[in-house]
Amino acid sequence: MSRSSDHSKPANKTHVPAPEDQRAEQAGVNDESLVEVHSILLREKAEPSEGFSPMPLFLLGFISALIFGVSVYVVHYRGDFDPLVYDHRFSAAAGGADVGPVELTPAQILASGRRAYQTCVACHQANGQGVPGAFPPLAGTEWVTGSEERLIRILLHGLTGPIEVNGNTYNGVMPAFGRVPGGGYNWTNERIAHVLSFIRNEWGNEASFITTEQVDAVFRAEAGRSRPWTAEELAQFVGN
Amino acid sequence: MSATLTESLRPTATPELAKRVELSAIDASTRGPVLYFLGSSILWLILGTVFALIASIKMHAPEFLGDSEWLTWGRVRTAHLNAVAFGWSVNASFAVAIWLMARLARAEVRHAGMLTLAAVFWNVGLTIGIFGILAGDSTSIEWLEIPPYATPILFVAYALIGAWALITFRFGRSQHIYVSQWYILGALFWFPSIYSVAQVMLLLEPTRGTVQSLVNWWFAHNFIGLWLTPIGVGAIYYFLPKVLGKPIHSYYLSILGFWSLALFYNWAGVHHLIGGPVPVWVQTAGIAASFMMVVPVLVTAINHHLTMVGSFSALKYSPTLRFIVFGAVNYTLTSLVGSLASMRSFSEVVHFTQHTVAHAHHGLYSFFTMVMFGAVYYIVPRVTLKEWPSVKLISLHFWTVAIGNIAMIGALTIGGIEQGINMNVLPTNPDGTAGEPMAFLNVMAQTLKWLEWRTYSGILITVGHVAFAINFAWMLWQPRKPGITQPALFRNAPDMEVAR
Repeated sequence: MSRSSDHSKPANKTHVPAPEDQRAEQAGVNDESLVEVHSILLREKAEPSEGFSPMPLFLLGFISALIFGVSVYVVHYRGDFDPLVYDHRFSAAAGGADVGPVELTPAQILASGRRAYQTCVACHQANGQGVPGAFPPLAGTEWVTGSEERLIRILLHGLTGPIEVNGNTYNGVMPAFGRVPGGGYNWTNERIAHVLSFIRNEWGNEASFITTEQVDAVFRAEAGRSRPWTAEELAQFVGN
Repeated sequence: MSATLTESLRPTATPELAKRVELSAIDASTRGPVLYFLGSSILWLILGTVFALIASIKMHAPEFLGDSEWLTWGRVRTAHLNAVAFGWSVNASFAVAIWLMARLARAEVRHAGMLTLAAVFWNVGLTIGIFGILAGDSTSIEWLEIPPYATPILFVAYALIGAWALITFRFGRSQHIYVSQWYILGALFWFPSIYSVAQVMLLLEPTRGTVQSLVNWWFAHNFIGLWLTPIGVGAIYYFLPKVLGKPIHSYYLSILGFWSLALFYNWAGVHHLIGGPVPVWVQTAGIAASFMMVVPVLVTAINHHLTMVGSFSALKYSPTLRFIVFGAVNYTLTSLVGSLASMRSFSEVVHFTQHTVAHAHHGLYSFFTMVMFGAVYYIVPRVTLKEWPSVKLISLHFWTVAIGNIAMIGALTIGGIEQGINMNVLPTNPDGTAGEPMAFLNVMAQTLKWLEWRTYSGILITVGHVAFAINFAWMLWQPRKPGITQPALFRNAPDMEVAR
C-alpha cells in the first residue's frame, strides 16, 4: 500500500482507495497504513477510567452539616404544609382562622365602607347628591341619618316606586344588596353595615355607626322577603 | 459492520492497536449524524446570536428596527432563547451524547441513517417553530414558546434519537458503565418526561391558576438541570481524563455527585416563584433543594479539580481542555450563585432584574456552551479524520467568547444587583427612618449603561462564533492531508503530553 493516500490526488497509479472508502478498511489493510489514516486516533490517550480515592472526611461532615441546616430551615418556613398558606410569616396561633372575628377600628370601618360605596357611585354619585328626578341624594337627608331600621331594610331588599326626599320626588328602582331571594349583589351583612356607617358619616352627615349585629337582626326579622320595599311600607319603621 | 476493521488486523497486532482500531470504526459509524447535528447546531448558534444582538440593542435603543413587526423585542428575544436552547444546545448535546455513548458503550451506531433522519426532523420542526414565533404564534409560556403545530415533529425526532442512543448503549461490548454514561442515560429519560408533562399540563390540558406557573418553572429549570447539565457534566467527565490521560480522581465522588443531582435538582425550579402566590411550603422545598444542590456541585468540582491538579500547564496546549476547564469552573460558580440567589432575602432584591439574565447566561453559556465547544474541537477531527485548519481561529474563538462572557456576566450581575437595590430596598434617611423609593424611571436610566455593556460584549462573542463557524466549515470542505498529521494545538506540546 502506498504511504500517501490523499483521496483527491492519488500519489501513484496503483489502486489506492480513498480513506473514507470502506474498502480501505477491509482486507488487505496492513497495520502501517492504519497507523497513517488513523493517526488522530492513535495519538489520543486511553479511554478514561476511574480512580478509587476515598471520599474526604471533611466532605462528609460538610454534607451532614448542610442537611442539618436545611432541615432546620424547612421546619422553620414550612407554613404548616398548608396549601392555603402563602406567606411564611403567617401563624395559625397568632392570626389564623381560629381566633374569631377581628375588631375593626372606626377608621377601618369607614375605609371599608368607602370601598364598598364605589358600587353606589353610579347612581348616587361620588358627592352623594344623586341625579335629579331619578336617584335621590344621600347627603343631608333624614332617610340616611334617621331611622336605622328603615335604612337597613332599603339596602337589604331594595326600594321601588315614588319616594320624596328633601321635598323632591324621585321614581326609580334601588336593587337589593343583601343575601335575599332575588338579590343580585349578595353583600354580607358586615359589608352592608360598613357602607351604611360610611354614608351616615360622609358629606357632612353625622349619625351613629350601624353594626353588623343590627343588620343581622333585621335580616332575621325579614327572612323570606323577596320584594323590594315601597316608601309607604317603610313608613312604619320611622321612629324605631 | 463489526466484521470489518478489527478482524482485518494482523493477529500479531498489539491489543492497544486493536482498541484504537475499534474506536476508529465506532467514530466512523457516528460520522453522518454527528456532523449533521453539529453543522445545524452551529447554524442555529449564529442565528441565535444575531437574534440576541438585535434584542440586546433594542434594550437601550428601542427605535432600532422598531418598524419591523417580526423583529419586535418580544418576538426576537423569544426567538433567541429558542434558537440557542433548542437549536444550538440541544443539537450539540445530541451530537456529543451519541458520540460519547457509542465510544463508551463500545458499539457502532447501527443504521445511522435513521439518526440523520431524526436530526432532519428535529431541525425542520425547530425551523417551523421559530418561524412561528417570529410570525407571532408564540404560546407565551417561557421556554415552551414553540407553537403547538411544531411540537409533534420535535417529539418524533426526539423519540428516534433517544431510542437510538439507548439501543447503542444496550448492544455495546463494554462491560463497564463509565460515569459519563450515567449522566447521558439519565438525561435521555429525564428530558422526554419533563417535556411531555409540561406540554400536557400547560398546552394540551392546561391546569388552572398558579399550578401553571409551578409547572412552567419546574420544566424550565429542569430543562437546564436535567438535560443540559447532565450532558455537560458527562462531557467534562469524559474529556478531562481523556485529554490528560489520567483516571478520574474518585469513583465514590462520581456516584455521590450523580445521585445527589438526580435527587435535588428536580425540586429546585420553584425558587423562581419566591414571594409569588404559591403555597409557602412549596417555595421552602424549592429553596431547600436549591441549597442542597451545593452537594453535587461541590462533589463534582472536587472530583474534577483533583483530577486536574498537577496538569494545569496542559491548558497552554489543548483547545479542548481550555474550553472544558473554563466550563467546569463556571459550572461550580454559577451553581453556587444559583443556590445563593434562591435565598428569600437575596431573591426578593434581585428577582426580575438583569441579575437573573446574567445567571441564565452564566449557566447556559459559560458552563454548557463552553463545554460543548471543547467537545466539538475534540470530536470533529476524529469523525472526519482531518485536523482543524486554523489554530489562530481557535485561539480567536476562545479569547473573544471568554472575555465577552466575563464582561457580559460581570456587567449584568453588577447592574442587576444595583437595579434590585434601587427598586426593592428603601434608602435610609440620616435619622434612621425609611426614605422614599427611587422613581422607576430613574432605576431604568441607571440600568442603561449596563445594557450597553451587554451589547458590546455580545459583539465580541459574535466575532468568536463567526470564527468558530468559519473554522468548522473550512474543516469540512478542505481535502484530507496525506500522511501522518499534526494536531491543532495552541503551541507545540513537549513529548506529546497532550492528546489532541
